[in-house]
Amino acid sequence: MRGMVLRLAVMAIAGALVVSTPVVAQPPKLTLPDILNPVVAEGEVGRFGGTYVTTSISDPRTFNAVVAQETSSTVPLGYSFDGLVETNRISTEIEGALAESWTVSKDGRTWRFKLRKGVTWHDGAPVTADDVVFTLDAAFTKGVQSSLPDVLTIAGKPIQYKKVDQFTVEFKTEQPFGPFLRTIGFSVLPKHKLEGALKQGASEFNRTWSVATPPREIIGQGPYVMQQYVPGQRIVFLRNTKYYRVDKKGQRLPYLARLVIVVVPNLDAARLKFEAKETDFYAARPREFAEFKQKETAGNFTIFDGPPTFSTEFLVFNQNPKGISGPKLAWFQNAKFRQAVSHAVDRDAIARQVYAGRATAQFSPVSPANKFFFNPNTRRYAYDVARAEALLREAGFSKGSDGLLRDPAGNIVEFTMATNAGNTDREAIGNLVRQDLTKLGMRVTFAPEAFNTLVGKLTGTFNWEAIIIGLTGGLEPHTGQNVWRSTGSLHMWHPRQESPATDWETEIDRIFDQAAQMVDQNKRKQLYNRWQEIVAEQVPMIYFATTLTQPAVRNTLGNIRLGLGGSTADIEELYYRTPYR
Amino acid sequence: MLRHIARRLLHLIPMLLGITLISFAIIQLSPGDFLAEARMNPVVSTETVDRMRTSFGLDQPLHIQYLRWLWNALRLDFGYSFAFQVPVIWLIGSRLMNSVLLNAVSFAVAWAIAIPLGIHAARRQYSASDNVLSFSAYLGISTPTFFSGLFLLYLAFRTGWFPIGGMTSIDHDFLPWWGKILDVAHHMVLPVLVLGVLSVAGLMRQMRANLLEVLRQDYVRTARSKGLAERAVINRHAVRNAINPLITIFGFSLGGLLGGSAILENVMGWPGIGKLIVEATIQKDLYVVMASLVIGSVTLVAGNLIADVLLVVSDPRIRYD
Repeated sequence: MRGMVLRLAVMAIAGALVVSTPVVAQPPKLTLPDILNPVVAEGEVGRFGGTYVTTSISDPRTFNAVVAQETSSTVPLGYSFDGLVETNRISTEIEGALAESWTVSKDGRTWRFKLRKGVTWHDGAPVTADDVVFTLDAAFTKGVQSSLPDVLTIAGKPIQYKKVDQFTVEFKTEQPFGPFLRTIGFSVLPKHKLEGALKQGASEFNRTWSVATPPREIIGQGPYVMQQYVPGQRIVFLRNTKYYRVDKKGQRLPYLARLVIVVVPNLDAARLKFEAKETDFYAARPREFAEFKQKETAGNFTIFDGPPTFSTEFLVFNQNPKGISGPKLAWFQNAKFRQAVSHAVDRDAIARQVYAGRATAQFSPVSPANKFFFNPNTRRYAYDVARAEALLREAGFSKGSDGLLRDPAGNIVEFTMATNAGNTDREAIGNLVRQDLTKLGMRVTFAPEAFNTLVGKLTGTFNWEAIIIGLTGGLEPHTGQNVWRSTGSLHMWHPRQESPATDWETEIDRIFDQAAQMVDQNKRKQLYNRWQEIVAEQVPMIYFATTLTQPAVRNTLGNIRLGLGGSTADIEELYYRTPYR
Repeated sequence: MLRHIARRLLHLIPMLLGITLISFAIIQLSPGDFLAEARMNPVVSTETVDRMRTSFGLDQPLHIQYLRWLWNALRLDFGYSFAFQVPVIWLIGSRLMNSVLLNAVSFAVAWAIAIPLGIHAARRQYSASDNVLSFSAYLGISTPTFFSGLFLLYLAFRTGWFPIGGMTSIDHDFLPWWGKILDVAHHMVLPVLVLGVLSVAGLMRQMRANLLEVLRQDYVRTARSKGLAERAVINRHAVRNAINPLITIFGFSLGGLLGGSAILENVMGWPGIGKLIVEATIQKDLYVVMASLVIGSVTLVAGNLIADVLLVVSDPRIRYD
């Protein structure tokens, strides 16, 4: 799940601030014999060779980048495939990757991308506009299991795309689309390798370049070439000697000769392997920070005090008349009730006890990691039992002599709160929240259950009362539309509404419509500020705490610069300082 | 004998039908489905999830889904994994031999140690060595796999003598053939220790009890009073008769060759089928679960059948026809 955050961040981040300066031209400082305009890396000049070893807690599910959804697949594929553009981890700006420049028309609907000339696939064939068009053809083929069409459908119409010449592609959107650059960084696939599979139909294409395919047949254009996949054990990559990025001296990147992702059963095994110096990187959990800090010198690594994550954890009450009824529905639909609960939650205790202090209280759906869109001025709910009790009294609730809270009709306030079993953080949060709510006189049963079951209730039967769960996030609020629009299937408290049930949901729908069509990022920010205010006021989701990241990296590695979501290095610039192993 | 085997194989058919039908129903009746993960992803729209449901055939009525699966399974087509989009057979095949290897070696080690120890303990009942062995056996039986697995992992971490989980090192492919064998053997020491020790305890107790039972029999006394050497009495007469219950256990153990190490595989990162099946069950990757159930049932039945045949070979008194 943590890895997922990174992926969404990278996917969604693109271009928050760039659209207002539509033309990006990099003056060619260096040239290569075959590539006129290579990307010049920002980091220090490193040395060549070495093997970088990292871990994954699950096997990849596919090597087909159009179909891939989980980080277990998208992370390894990210080493072998590039897109037209990508997000700079540090500045968060959009930069050209396969595309060297782009322009947008005055009406904000037509985008033209110029591809970098001389870039080749791992087998030597040139990367052209045909490949970009083919990738989209594949993604939009009915039956191909890709989420790309979900992202590239604007105002109900799929994006239009065409080849202008061998190195130019053009996109047209139905309306001006603010998050455009952030959605166009998908991995480009080679037409000459996959055309045949797509012609045989969608299900054949879904199964092409599966994990059963010999890895050397997986042809990308990214910094690393997939060399070997041993199921349940590891994925091995070798350096792409024809990559289109260079360092400041004009030497072709990447530096590392070999890259290995070792598949381990769980995070504890990943940690042991890191501490035993079998691996070079470990994304430590908040609780582990202090302990790792002490072991830094002995273990020859550095643990970084990283930026906040993009993911959120929250409590949501069911407000869906199709799922529950009677007094419970009335309580949960009452904003004062939800505000009271929010005041009763001791977020500092959660940050302290669950996350060892490596977290801060959260009140907005946007993580503070998202510096551009985060609104720090939304309503905050300090831990205040008296205030919570006052709000409940205003709403007609009263506490009897038995200490139990009753609604105006005299019903005892009792409900079941669930979360997905096995997620120890959420289980710990649930126990603390249950204690907090008991102080208000509520009778809460905390019952963790299997993830599948929980999601089945949340999105299918709607038969639940309160749930603690989390979502991954990214820089672009628009990618959360499935959660925030009243028609969304992840609009958890009341999904798939025919028309918005409340005024504030109507307003949020309008905000998401408007912000999507706006290209001026500052105006979009104003709209999303308003959205965050509404959410903080109505508290359909009661957020707990944003955790910080704490990546640990072996000191033998160079070009470590902390960036978005706790990422530590651009893979092509990473190098071994010492004579490598 | 052949008729007995044929009859047993025929029994397998209704049994497998029953097992698959019940398993299919139970998996499908529990709430939630494989698409839960996609549903919780804000980027994936409802329409995409619905399309996936259709393409997996999950929108069909249950009996149609079952019959369709059965029809394909009869032709040895076990379908595609939802999660991996590869044939279930490939997925299981990619890990099967790893589990078989681990379990077979543990099995061999366990038997090679347990049988002589059991004989030793029975011959010197209530001696100091018997007491020590009994005590260790109780300890071995009562220690859960995941605990001893974790303990040994920690030991490997502290001492650095053994790799931390896995089956091969990252440089495995650069090694000569004998280096590859040593590499796997090095990775196997700890898991074999866990699995082997666990079954040594049980087997040893079983062997000891059987042998004690046999040693009390009249024919043993007769053999001894004839002046037969003690070694011959034990090995040729007593052990041979004491071994029958162990053959039955052997049959059952064959069924465990595939799935017997599931927990340990998860603890130690052994890339076996057990880990795959546990994950598939949690994710409700339907066809992977179904195929592994079929394989598990078939190997269990086959194991019992082999045990029956071995019993006939070992004990002339047993006849099935």
